[in-house]
Amino acid sequence: MKFETIITLVIVVGLVWGGFGFFLLKAFKFEKMKRENGKTEN
Amino acid sequence: MKQREYFSSRWGLVIATLGIAVGTGNIWRFSRIVAQNGGGSFLIPWVIFLFFWSIPLIIAEFAIGKSTRYGPVGAIAKTAGPKFAWMGAFIALVSTAIMFYYSVVTGWCIRYLVSAVSGDLFSTQNHLQYWNDFSSTLLPVFYHFLAMLIGGIIIFRGVKNGIEKVNRILVPAMIIILLVLLVRALLLPDAIEGIKYFFTPQKKYLLDINVWLQALTQNAWDTGAGWGLIMTYAIYMKKKEDVSVNAALIGFGNNSISLIAGMIIFSTVFALSSVDAMNQITQSGPANTGLTFIYLPLLFSKLSANESVNIFFASIFFLALSFAAISSLISLIELTTRTFIDFGFNRKKAVLIVTVSGFLLGVPSALNMDFFTNQDWVWGLGLLLSGAFISFSIIRYGVDKFRTEIVNGPGSDIKIGKWYNVIIAYLVPLQVTVLIVWWLIESANWDPEWWNPFHTANVGTSVLQWSIALAVFIFFNKSLVKYTLRE
Repeated sequence: MKFETIITLVIVVGLVWGGFGFFLLKAFKFEKMKRENGKTEN
Repeated sequence: MKQREYFSSRWGLVIATLGIAVGTGNIWRFSRIVAQNGGGSFLIPWVIFLFFWSIPLIIAEFAIGKSTRYGPVGAIAKTAGPKFAWMGAFIALVSTAIMFYYSVVTGWCIRYLVSAVSGDLFSTQNHLQYWNDFSSTLLPVFYHFLAMLIGGIIIFRGVKNGIEKVNRILVPAMIIILLVLLVRALLLPDAIEGIKYFFTPQKKYLLDINVWLQALTQNAWDTGAGWGLIMTYAIYMKKKEDVSVNAALIGFGNNSISLIAGMIIFSTVFALSSVDAMNQITQSGPANTGLTFIYLPLLFSKLSANESVNIFFASIFFLALSFAAISSLISLIELTTRTFIDFGFNRKKAVLIVTVSGFLLGVPSALNMDFFTNQDWVWGLGLLLSGAFISFSIIRYGVDKFRTEIVNGPGSDIKIGKWYNVIIAYLVPLQVTVLIVWWLIESANWDPEWWNPFHTANVGTSVLQWSIALAVFIFFNKSLVKYTLRE
């Protein structure tokens, strides 16, 4: 596999799947925080 | 109107919205366009425009729907001002017109699923003939009816029990099926050649402006951004729900699925093609169906010597395609239904009107491929105007006010910076202008009589159909406002 193929694969897949994974983790984190805050308020 | 229905949770909303974004375009259009535009060279601008088109417009739609609690007509009237309700009506019309023929596409997917499961799909080697035999009968009308019926029943059941419940099954199931197909495709001999082509950039394509414009178009047509659909689902977001993280999840999630689909198609085509793989993958075929309904069935028949294995993989592929189509179709039906609800109809009556008229007005596309192509061209391009109208509404409202008070308002998990103002106020209008002009010039290249409104796909037919719609909506603007914003 050519060098530029590997670089493109890493950048494209890394950005797209990495971006999805990053924001999924963020969403989980914020949901957990909101739930905990909700419990405290109750 | 008092808001009564909500998605049960963030995950219900995200999965349903992902169902809008992921459609047949991710599976069949994406691979064809990648192949026609230099493989890896296309992927680079495609990722860039995710940040400059898709995610900013998804943020905009979530924020407008959540803050106004109206479908496109009321939402635009409230955001841009009552004088501009006609823009909302145009957005609603474009998505409604797409619903008419998208239901036909959904019907094709269901038909091929039935053919694959029954094994009938492998009764022939001439798949072009098989497609022609199917499309020249009344069967497309029956499957279009079935698609509208399924969609209508789901929307009739409401947001939580219909849209959310169904998407909670369809979207994860579709992703699991695509992952199974990906593993199978990557294990085929020579699959690596497809992956190499998919990810290898070629300088001549990378420097070609047309490749960049195709990448922008793919983002505009494939993510559901700027269609008014996400705006409609956002009506049912709870007040405490976030906008920006959810929007990023939809944009990245949609493109992640496109990448999986692309890897499946390229690996399979390069591994199993006995003739020139690139030639086959770039063939549009009738109504751009070539790759999906004509070439892939042929490849599935070569997958293994055991026909049961071929039937299994073809069936799950068309099942995933049907799930993708249905999850998008229901969002189109919901947008039209919500527009009627805003006009004072109850959900039952609105769904009945939309389902029956959706079926009747889709029949010409089911029967005539030229009519189908015309509608796909006119309203597909019209989506770019819809994106421009959304951007215009925010500019009228005040971009900074919109960002600070609505996007970064109650419930927001992260705060969006001033970069958002630049994208919405300058980059989105610029992209829309360039794209519309480019597509119209392109159409003039393939049709010397570009002005003739009775041709299938050219400047004349688009401008005529848009003009009629816009003239009617501008004329009835006051009534649109009066009957929608009744409080």
